[in-house]
Amino acid sequence: MQRQPVTNGAVRPLPKFLNLAQIRFPVGAIASILHRVSGVVLVVALPLLASALGESLRSPQGFDAVLESATRSWFTPLLFVGVWALVHHVFAGVRHLLMDIGVGVRLSQARASALVSIAAGIVAVLVALLAWGLR
Amino acid sequence: MKLSIYRFDPDADERPRMQDYDIELRHTDRMLLDVLLRLKEVDDSLSFRRSCREGVCGSDAMNINGRNGLACIHPVSELKEPVVLRPLPGFPVVRDLVVDMTQFFAHYRSIRPYVIDDGPMPERERLQSPEERERLDGLYECILCACCSAFCPSYWWNPDKFIGPAGLLQAWRFITDSRDTARSERLAYLDDVYRLYRCRTIMNCTEVCPKGLSPSHAIERIRLALVRESS
Amino acid sequence: MRVFSGQRAWLLQRFTAIAILVLLVLGAFPLVTTDGSAYERWHAMATSTHGVVLVLAFFVSMGLHAWIGVRDVVLDYVHAPALRLPLLAVVAFVLIAVQIRVLMILT
Repeated sequence: MQRQPVTNGAVRPLPKFLNLAQIRFPVGAIASILHRVSGVVLVVALPLLASALGESLRSPQGFDAVLESATRSWFTPLLFVGVWALVHHVFAGVRHLLMDIGVGVRLSQARASALVSIAAGIVAVLVALLAWGLR
Repeated sequence: MKLSIYRFDPDADERPRMQDYDIELRHTDRMLLDVLLRLKEVDDSLSFRRSCREGVCGSDAMNINGRNGLACIHPVSELKEPVVLRPLPGFPVVRDLVVDMTQFFAHYRSIRPYVIDDGPMPERERLQSPEERERLDGLYECILCACCSAFCPSYWWNPDKFIGPAGLLQAWRFITDSRDTARSERLAYLDDVYRLYRCRTIMNCTEVCPKGLSPSHAIERIRLALVRESS
Repeated sequence: MRVFSGQRAWLLQRFTAIAILVLLVLGAFPLVTTDGSAYERWHAMATSTHGVVLVLAFFVSMGLHAWIGVRDVVLDYVHAPALRLPLLAVVAFVLIAVQIRVLMILT
């Protein structure tokens, strides 16, 4: 850490400007941080997924119990978070895979694909909400 | 024109602050740097680096209305008021808009920014075909202004270990130079979870490069070269 | 973890990503093309031989992909060794526990 001497003889670290609220992020950066957030959400969901796997295969009652807690319990709002996370992470992930092989690397294309990724997640949640509301 | 500028005097200030200015624009004020230089007449204590005033030295890189850029090629007509000026994000602030570039240049030096050829000296010069020379386009033009690295979140979180977009672009510049013979060593040096692989292809670097270069593209080329090296 | 350094981790991240996508499609296929109630279709798919392999491969891929991803997040934000090592250990433990749980469910 860089330090500079102050007139009273003590040293203190140099300040840095890193207030994220005052930085204007491009759309790609938004897609990227959401890719990370959705990834963390999915990691948290993984043990739950393993539990659901067990319950759903135990018996028809177990299967129904899983559907019940997914669609008609306190857990349901989290389900929609999970849907958003899955769809955004997959879309943003595929965007990265394509850029790795040179597809969509130009700035204009990268911005467009970032927007598509963000939109896909939002659309997926809206569709899921609609499906849940109409069931 | 109304401006709000980041101020920090290490001898007088406990912490940085924002100072407002209001200056009458003249028709000769074409670029932001012109305004800043005239602001010195109003407030001589305002500190910033500047030199060439034409976008080739990279001295006056700063955060302009939330995005990094060079003050000398930023047209006044394109600036939304109040114009908010801050130092390059993530870099230690020496004074006002002047930041410490030590770490940044250390990363540049670490990638060995020179042609390496320990073989026999050529008779006259090391020849390079037009096609080979073309491979340096989009790489040699880098002015090391640090707009890219100072806009890279991965560089913000690990400025000491991640080389950053500028350093990596220059690394590729020498890897792809046909006259260089140290390709394998250069690639091996970069194959590290921190040095190269902190990059998440956020592409903030390419968004702000004032020379229109694409560090993200250079980084992708390095990754592909590493895959080819190992196979 | 030298084996997960640099290029290898980056490639494995991509490889597992593609594997997950492929497995999701392969898994979804019998669920939408066979007959029976939802439970019957699901049970039949997940307990068949290729179904077990599919689900297991899915969770293994997810576990590896998750590990590399979380490790990247920790390396970015958590610098103090006192915090970093326990955090990574907890995540590794949870991910391994998931694999064991899934293995026990399917066998």
